[in-house]
Amino acid sequence: MNHDLFSFLPLFLKAAALTIWLSWLALMIGAVAGGFVALARTSRWLPLRVLALLFVEFFRSIPILIVLFFAYFGLPVMFGVDISTFTAATLALALHATATMSEVMRAGIESVGRGQWEAAQSSGMTFAQTMRHVVGPQALKVVLPPSVGVYVTTLKESSLASIIGYIELTKTGLLVRESTGGSFAPLLLLGVLYFLINYGISLAGGVLERRYNVGTKLVLAGGGL
Amino acid sequence: MHYTLQFRSIREYLPLLWDAAQTTLSISVLAIILSVIIGCGLAIMRRSQSRLARVLAIAYIEIMRNTPLLVILYIVYFALPAMGLRFSPFSAALIGLTLNSAGYMAEIIRAGLVAIAHGQFEAARAQGFNPVQTYRHIILPQVFRVIYAPLGNQVIAVILASSLASAVAVEDVASWMQTVGSTSFRFFETFLVAAGVYLVLCQAVNLIRLAIGRMLFRDNGVRR
Repeated sequence: MNHDLFSFLPLFLKAAALTIWLSWLALMIGAVAGGFVALARTSRWLPLRVLALLFVEFFRSIPILIVLFFAYFGLPVMFGVDISTFTAATLALALHATATMSEVMRAGIESVGRGQWEAAQSSGMTFAQTMRHVVGPQALKVVLPPSVGVYVTTLKESSLASIIGYIELTKTGLLVRESTGGSFAPLLLLGVLYFLINYGISLAGGVLERRYNVGTKLVLAGGGL
Repeated sequence: MHYTLQFRSIREYLPLLWDAAQTTLSISVLAIILSVIIGCGLAIMRRSQSRLARVLAIAYIEIMRNTPLLVILYIVYFALPAMGLRFSPFSAALIGLTLNSAGYMAEIIRAGLVAIAHGQFEAARAQGFNPVQTYRHIILPQVFRVIYAPLGNQVIAVILASSLASAVAVEDVASWMQTVGSTSFRFFETFLVAAGVYLVLCQAVNLIRLAIGRMLFRDNGVRR
C-alpha cells in the first residue's frame, strides 16, 4: 500500500502547486481590492465609508462555503453564464480575502500619521510620490506580517474548492483514497502536505514579524478554518 | 439582469431551515464549550515544567492551526473508521471542529496567562491563597479581561467554520442552502436566506459580546 502511495506522490505535488497558485491568486486579488476597500473605509465621504463597512461585515459574517456554493451553482442560473470550478473558487476566496485584507490595509494606512501626508504634500510631492516614498514603506511594515497570516488562512480555505469539484490538493487526496480502496494513508499524507506548506509560510511570517519588529498579531476572524 | 426574487417558492423549505439552524447552533455551541476546556488544558501544558508536555502541546497547536479543517474532518469521518472508530456525521463534525478550534483556543488562553505578571502569583501566595483561590480570585478575572475580545472572534470563527460540517453530510444551514438551491433552482434566494442566518448569528454574538463587555469592563474591547 505504501508503494502505491509513493507512485501517487507526483500527482500530490502537482495538486499542491495548484492549491498554492489558487490561494496566491486569491490573496493578490484580495490585496489589491482590499486596498481600495480600505481607502473607501478611511474616506471622508460617509456613504462610501458605510458601503465599505457593510461589504466587510457581510463577507466576514458569512461562511466562505456559502459564497462558494452561490458562485458555482447560483451565478450560472442567474446570469446564464458558465462558471468553471476554478473561477468560482477564486471568486469566493478573493471576496473573503478582500474583506480581511482591507482590515489589514486599513491598519497599515492608519498607522502612518496624518502629519506624514501633510509633510510630503508640503515638500511638493505628488500623491504617487508620497505613496511610493513616504507612506508606502511605512505601511508595508505593518501590512506584511499579518498578510502572511491571511495567506495561510486563504490556503486552508482553498481546500473548500474540492467540495465543488476543483481538483486541487484536497480533491486529489480524496480521489487517490477512492482509487486505493478507501485507505487511510492518502488523507494523512494530505494533512502532512498542508501542514508542511502552511508551517513553512508561518515560519516565514515569524521571520518577517521579527525583522520589522511589529507586534501586530492582528486578530482576524476566520481562525476556525 | 432579469432576475426576479421569488421567495414564495422556497417557503415550503423554511421548516427545514429551522432544523438546520438548530443543528448549526448546537454544533457550534458544543464545539466552543469543548474546545475551551481542551484549550485550557493545552495552555496549561504549554506552561508546564515538563518538557514533554510542552512539546506535545506545541505540536498539537501547530498541527491544528496549519491544517485545513476540511482535511481534519475528512480524516475523522473517512480515515478513522478504517481503524475501527466509526462516528455519525454529527459527532464526526463536532470532533473535527472541536479539535481544530482547541488549537486556537489554547493560543488565546495562553496569551491571557502570559499577560499576567508573575508577581501576581507570588503576591497571592504571600497572602496565603492556595492555588485554587489564586486562580479563582486573582488570575482568572484578569485573564478573562485579556482574552475577552479574541474569544469572541473565535466564537464567530467557529460558527462560520461549522458550515463545513455539511461536507460530512451534517444537515446544517450550508447543506440546506445546497439542497434547497438545487431542488428549487432559486439559488439567489437560498443564498440570501442562508447568508442571513449566519449574519444574524454572528451579529448577535457581536451584540452580546458588546453588552457583556460594557457590563464587565469599562471599555468593551470589541476589536476584530
